[in-house]
Amino acid sequence: MYVITREGLRDLLESLQDEHALFGPVHHEVSGEVLFDRVDDPARIDIDAPIPFNPPKFAFFPQFGRILRYTYDRRTKDLRMEKEPLGEAKALVGIRSCDLAGLLCLDRFYLGQEFVDEFYLEHRKRTFIVSASCVRPFAQCFCVCTDSGPCPREGYDLNLTLLDDSYLVEPGSQKGAEVAARLNMPEADPGLVSERDRRIDRSISLFDELARENKAWISRVVNRITTGFVSEDVWEYIGSQCFECGACAFVCPTCSCFNIEDANTLAGSTDRVRTWDSCSFEGYTRMAGDHNPRKPVEDRRNKRFFCKLSFSQSKKYLRPGCVGCGRCARICPGDIGLPNVVACIRREITGRE
Amino acid sequence: MGYKTGVCNFCGTGCGNLLRVEGDRILGVFSAPGHPVSRGRLCVRGWHIHELLNTEDRLAYPLARLAGGGFVRVDYRSALDQVVDGLSRYAGEEIAFLASPRSSNEDNYLLAKLSRAALGCNNIGLASDSGHRHCVDVFMQGGCWPAMTGSLADVETAALILVVGSDITRQNPIVGSRIHLAARGGSHLVTISSRSTQIARLSHRHHLVRPGTQGLLLYAMARILVEENLQDRDFIGRYTDGYEVFVRSLEALDMGAVQQATGIGLDDVRETARRIARAPSAMAFFPSGISGLDRETIARLYNLFLAAGKIGREGCGVNPVTGISNLVGSYDVGAAPDLLPGHFRADDPEAARRLSKTWGAEISAAPGRHPAEMLSARPCGLKALVIVDHDEEIVRFTQALRRLDLVVYLGAYANPITEFAHLIVPTTTFAEADGTYTSTERRIQLMGKKLEPSLEVLPLWRICASLAERLGRRWSYGSAAEVMDEIASVVPSYSAVSHAALEHRFGLQWPCDAQHPEGTPRFAPESPRDRLRFVPQAAPSAAPVSTDGYPFLLIPGRANYYWHQNNVMKKTHIPRREYNALLLLYPNGLVEICAEDAARIGVRDKWPVNIVSADGSMRVAARISADVPPGTAYVPYFVQEMIPGFLRAHGAPDFPGEDSVIPVRIEKV
Amino acid sequence: MSGNGEVIVTVPEAAVVEEITEEIEDVRTFYFRFEDPDRERDFRIRSGQFVMCTVFGAGEFAVSLPFSPEDDRRHISVRRAGKVTGALHQLEPGDKIGIRGPFGNGFPFEEIRGRNVIYIAGGIGLIPLRSSIVHLLQHRSAYGRIILLYGSRSAKELMYRYMIDTWRETEGFETHFAIDRAEPGWTGDVGFVHTLIPKAKVPVDNSVAFVCGPPTMFNAVIRELTSNGMKDDVIISTLERHMKCGIGKCQHCAIGRTLVCTDGPVYTYRQIKTLGEHI
Repeated sequence: MYVITREGLRDLLESLQDEHALFGPVHHEVSGEVLFDRVDDPARIDIDAPIPFNPPKFAFFPQFGRILRYTYDRRTKDLRMEKEPLGEAKALVGIRSCDLAGLLCLDRFYLGQEFVDEFYLEHRKRTFIVSASCVRPFAQCFCVCTDSGPCPREGYDLNLTLLDDSYLVEPGSQKGAEVAARLNMPEADPGLVSERDRRIDRSISLFDELARENKAWISRVVNRITTGFVSEDVWEYIGSQCFECGACAFVCPTCSCFNIEDANTLAGSTDRVRTWDSCSFEGYTRMAGDHNPRKPVEDRRNKRFFCKLSFSQSKKYLRPGCVGCGRCARICPGDIGLPNVVACIRREITGRE
Repeated sequence: MGYKTGVCNFCGTGCGNLLRVEGDRILGVFSAPGHPVSRGRLCVRGWHIHELLNTEDRLAYPLARLAGGGFVRVDYRSALDQVVDGLSRYAGEEIAFLASPRSSNEDNYLLAKLSRAALGCNNIGLASDSGHRHCVDVFMQGGCWPAMTGSLADVETAALILVVGSDITRQNPIVGSRIHLAARGGSHLVTISSRSTQIARLSHRHHLVRPGTQGLLLYAMARILVEENLQDRDFIGRYTDGYEVFVRSLEALDMGAVQQATGIGLDDVRETARRIARAPSAMAFFPSGISGLDRETIARLYNLFLAAGKIGREGCGVNPVTGISNLVGSYDVGAAPDLLPGHFRADDPEAARRLSKTWGAEISAAPGRHPAEMLSARPCGLKALVIVDHDEEIVRFTQALRRLDLVVYLGAYANPITEFAHLIVPTTTFAEADGTYTSTERRIQLMGKKLEPSLEVLPLWRICASLAERLGRRWSYGSAAEVMDEIASVVPSYSAVSHAALEHRFGLQWPCDAQHPEGTPRFAPESPRDRLRFVPQAAPSAAPVSTDGYPFLLIPGRANYYWHQNNVMKKTHIPRREYNALLLLYPNGLVEICAEDAARIGVRDKWPVNIVSADGSMRVAARISADVPPGTAYVPYFVQEMIPGFLRAHGAPDFPGEDSVIPVRIEKV
Repeated sequence: MSGNGEVIVTVPEAAVVEEITEEIEDVRTFYFRFEDPDRERDFRIRSGQFVMCTVFGAGEFAVSLPFSPEDDRRHISVRRAGKVTGALHQLEPGDKIGIRGPFGNGFPFEEIRGRNVIYIAGGIGLIPLRSSIVHLLQHRSAYGRIILLYGSRSAKELMYRYMIDTWRETEGFETHFAIDRAEPGWTGDVGFVHTLIPKAKVPVDNSVAFVCGPPTMFNAVIRELTSNGMKDDVIISTLERHMKCGIGKCQHCAIGRTLVCTDGPVYTYRQIKTLGEHI
């Protein structure tokens, strides 16, 4: 373990930038709110900024990206196909434990199961991850309810924990250890481990006071959702407030659904693109011939929360599908983010208003 | 590379977004956190604007029609030469400009200047404007300004919110969201409509009125206010004129007939009227532009809120919600036949003189005619028409278009309407040029250029300047910012606006002038000269009635996510898929009727039916819906075939709101 | 790439359309061969699997493979139903299409040796079953009674009529057909296909049923079979869903806890009941 100052952090970022495209939390120029974005200037990165408004998944799972380009001439029957060259080296800096848990869910889903998704793999490999423990929660957070924070346990190359004016640096991989050694990071006094633990414990204790927007005690709800015993009335009530915008999927660190379309270009070729998609939409399951097995909006809400909270999905990710980041609650026009849905279902269970 | 702040260009809400620019493409969009209107949210359209910006289904280069048919590619210079040659052959009265409410202020200002100053033509008008124009007229008559009197910031503090006639969570979803969240936070939400909509279902009270009687209900509420002495006498005395005449006009209402005509019990009407009067604050929202209300209903709503003292204070206001990104701004910069920039009347000689001086060209002080009016006229005196970025609504003028000598189309995207054009001149998309757009809450926002166009295309304002130059006018605008500087010099409510002032902020709400350099959130009477006026309202006309022969009242609906023929939606992937989810089920159009009525007629969902009125008929498919009560039929007009046929015969698309209700019968085929 | 090394996972493989035949209205069969001779030689499928077929310039769609795993011409039979299938129907022999796959699980032939096999199909639901029918008839002696119950709305909507006559030449292949309403010239049964179950005296013991057709038909057939005592783990169906990736990532085909493209498309009725969502 090592300890670095803010100058040391800057050195780390600049060093990473030599060989990686750099991504990290920055402040929006007008509102000051925090975004996760690619940067040219490492000085813009503010590791201690509050949780970014957007999840980092776009770095591996582009919102709109070409995977293939082909040209087919019907006259000559000439066909040419070209896979999109993907994959630049990336360094993601300042990832919080909820977002890191989300990335690991995406890894397990895309790189495991029956097939490996080669497009995700190309975007994902050669990535260096510097995560950051959360020494305090933010208003929207509930990672303690979803076992995804406030301190990352795995999946990082280096993890930083803020200790007053310096950062404790813990390598989590061979790559991380090499970088720390190469930069001659000062070794940390072993006593700082307990200091880190103390800070994380304090962070957890601050949830009551600071993380006031959402409380999603999900365990009882997981059971109900898995067994399908939530009443139709509840789903209809939730569905009546859905604006079918898709935002819950776009901001969710674990949502991975996509659409594939072939789009013709002016040059006469065709781009096959993958784009973010969401099970919120009516057209998501509609088949040619017009049968739509998941047409009513309440069925789609049901499906979403099954995906996030049921046991079966947890088995796929080896952890709950929700990482407690609180973004869906902030972004939903109908005010039916996951915490409110959980609260609604709990009210049904307990019979209380 | 990265997320750059932008403004959504679909509806009039004016949500903030972040466009992900990678190299020469826009490969993503995110909502903009902290934006005062959208507050980090977007609707399904806004979440996919990058799909539109990525499409290559664009106009790539100028085209000129060949005599024998087909088009030949020409360069810009040649295209613009031909445009000028063509237009120069006609007198000003024979030319018209159909401007787009999606173009920027800079674009439409120069388009109007080209028309008036360089071609002596005052026949410039906006597409799909009839609804919003009524609002502009009524509010100006009412002594107010021609747009939302309040701000969306007031929604959270409004104790009561009234939504009239708008399927607002579909037309302007983020405004709908603000209203819904306010209701969850304690505001009392009342909806008036003839059809059940999401916002109606989320309201505390939904007045499901018979088709054509929204205005009647508002009339009755005003009468109740006065009868029960609930009007805000202090406000009326201090800030308004015309109250006495207004009170007398209320006597023309037969209260006894209200319940029968509207289908709403008088007790319920009273309750809402009292709530409006007694609430410490109240806001009203209604759709404007697309699916707008008719003039009378707007007038009655305005007068009701004036009598209740609910204009001009925090948490108060009467608010038209526009359906397209720059409908408000386009009027502000003079894209109307009888309005000059700044809403001065074209027949005001003093205003015409002032503008002539600024423009260095003689402006005639005679109002022009709206292109739509000219196209419908018989005989049609129009010879040459310039169309900008049109959404195919023009499909209703197919015959008239074919007879014109010259049709010039300017736009960024491929559009079936170009089949009628003689000259096609491509423009930039809104991401490829600087421009300002004025949202429904009067917020002027700068959408800065995000990337260089991959095609050789020019912004519309530059094309106008080039055309003017060919017509002998020396306009020297080096940038869109310079165009805005001129706008600021002729439009009083924009006088403190500049691109520099708009950088690094989320827009400025007009009036933005020397007294209000930070913009103005709401209309607030500031001096005894700012008198609001009760607007003359006509006596209530007979509500449309169904008869044995025509037992249904048909409401044509204008937008349920959609605009016209959805040309821009069709260029996306996911919104197009969602649009198709309905359309592919009913490819030849649909009429919504309730299950009870369907059973009586003997049809099931998707079965063909004939809709027959006294003036015509059409065949569409029945759609069983719980959103319409017995006796009401709803037809979303966006299906192309329905417009030239049936609805056109009834003049329905021309008349928004109440005026477009048609008594019909529906028969099994 | 990963999984079965012979599966074409992400980039479509070019195939040439050799012949196109009209089946019933709006349904055409496209016979194809891979351009790459190695691929053409090595491409193996199991009955029940599907491919993602690219129509260049239009898009990609999921289509079940109706040809037998052995000794049968490669083809797909597709109804014109939307933009991509509409573009497919514009193609001519010599045009190229793209193929990814084969994907999905297959029918469990090994487990059903020696049993009676009952095929129950409605409309174009017979297409996905064709592969298995032809395969079984090629190994007739390994199975007990083989019965086909097939129905459509009208006689002209019955698939494979010319082929069925050939199949009937195989001994011990029992067939029963039904159309919804009587028509001149029709000598088969009249009524919905599930009414053929009692008429054909479908055996319950040591039997397995493959069912494919529209949802209402499926439900009626299930009711009939289960009320006769057939167990839900020997009633097998192939489920259809909107698909995009075919490899279990886009999740359009998800039903409750399963992804139809990788866990299915072949499921037993027992599995279908516990998926957690309607099919």
